[in-house]
Amino acid sequence: MKNFKFLIALWKANLQAAMEFRSAFLTQVIFMMVNNGAYFMFWVLYFDKFKAVQGWTLQDMMLLYGIVATAWGTAAYFFGHFTTLAEVITQGRLDYYLSLPKPVLLHVLASRSIGSGMGDIIYGIGSFIISGYLTADGVLRFAIAVFTGVCIFISFLTIIQSLSFWLGNTVALSQIALSAVLTFSLYPSALFNASTKFVLLTIIPAALIGSVPAEFVRAFTWQSPLQISAGAFVFLLLAVTIFHSGLRKYESGSAIQVEV
Amino acid sequence: MKKYLAIITMQLINNIAYPGDFLGRSISIGIFLFIFAGLWGTTFRIAGTDSINGLTFANMMWYLMMAETIELGRPRTNRIISEQVKNGEVAYILNKPYNFLMYHFSFGVGDSLLRVAMNIGVGLLAAWLLAGPPPSLLGWGMALVTLIGAWILHFCMMALIGLAAFLVEETNSFELIYQKFVFVLGGMLLPLDMFPEWLQGIARALPFPYMMYTPARLFVKPDVELFWQMLGVQWLWVIALVFLLAIAYRGSERVLTVNGG
Repeated sequence: MKNFKFLIALWKANLQAAMEFRSAFLTQVIFMMVNNGAYFMFWVLYFDKFKAVQGWTLQDMMLLYGIVATAWGTAAYFFGHFTTLAEVITQGRLDYYLSLPKPVLLHVLASRSIGSGMGDIIYGIGSFIISGYLTADGVLRFAIAVFTGVCIFISFLTIIQSLSFWLGNTVALSQIALSAVLTFSLYPSALFNASTKFVLLTIIPAALIGSVPAEFVRAFTWQSPLQISAGAFVFLLLAVTIFHSGLRKYESGSAIQVEV
Repeated sequence: MKKYLAIITMQLINNIAYPGDFLGRSISIGIFLFIFAGLWGTTFRIAGTDSINGLTFANMMWYLMMAETIELGRPRTNRIISEQVKNGEVAYILNKPYNFLMYHFSFGVGDSLLRVAMNIGVGLLAAWLLAGPPPSLLGWGMALVTLIGAWILHFCMMALIGLAAFLVEETNSFELIYQKFVFVLGGMLLPLDMFPEWLQGIARALPFPYMMYTPARLFVKPDVELFWQMLGVQWLWVIALVFLLAIAYRGSERVLTVNGG
């Protein structure tokens, strides 16, 4: 509860900072929505020609984009450092967080907000609404899918970027991991063979963020919610464990840092 | 001319210092091609045909390899110009004995050379593994010739977006939108041959296909008549955009304010 209050205070501060540059924030939000819409045009053109692929239709792709965009946007807007944690570690900027009596990982992640994330959230919810799966239980399943997606996005990138504690600069590796998990999550895993599917459910958990949650919203089975919940729990546990064991190896650069 | 060659060489040497970084970035071509091999492999299988709108699975994969190489290798001039305008560094470049736009052009060429080479290397390997041997030498030749015009068109657009920083603070959003126009109307994700007729008409009336579709399409399906036709239109767009860029640059110079430093 104490941590939750702390999070709320951080988010409030982030929002106030964003409102200082209101028009820049709004521009980012609007342009991100347009950006996602333009990217989705590929699927509109594709399904105009082929109608369905492995049982996936344009409506299903809207749902998939809705889940992934909302999950990505939520992670980016509320836990913005999840994409830049490696830089924080390698530049010795953890000093600031270590000197404060708050949970270090939570504090680092939530101390940055990516404004365009709000554009992703709005686009994602809009895409879900027009996908045709908007029912009472559909909304609940969508919310669960987004929640587990946020956990997996953040945890996976935290694990990869925590390798900076041992390997030094892993910014390039983190960029590849980010690009892989985000790109793969936007395609149905039904397109790939069994071994690729296995990779997408474990090493690069993109299917746990996109395809499996989308299948869960499309039609209820016990298997999909169990898969995504177990995935979210395991990745979260691994992220916290790896980050904290890495933290013991952390060496400050004694650089003077100002965090705003 | 010597000074611009020196800028190209300098930037090339700068980039060679970080080959691992470049190789890492090129890996995203492999990811992209792997996903699209899954999508198009399944699509061709379901359609039960070897060719869709004149393109085979191998054509499609090599087309996407070339398109992605162009996208990842295009200059990022807009970011550099807008950063220089925002932090005032532009003043140091303007008083040097070279043309501002030619400086960025040379800088961009030096920056792109290694990136394009790396992307072609990784893309070649990935596409060969996924779709078999590459297209004919004629295709390579036509692609390389039209790549020059495509790169100049990209440069003009990027520089125009960068110059917008003289008027508005933030230009990243313009780049995002431009990129998506190239993705869709330029035929990066889907060749124009797959578009409905009406959209093909709109796309062909714009410069975007000549930045992406032209080299990629001629690469996989070399055709002499089509080559001359596309090359002609591409260079008409080059002339138009270079002219527009020159006008925009003159206008930007007039609104520039440098506050000491």
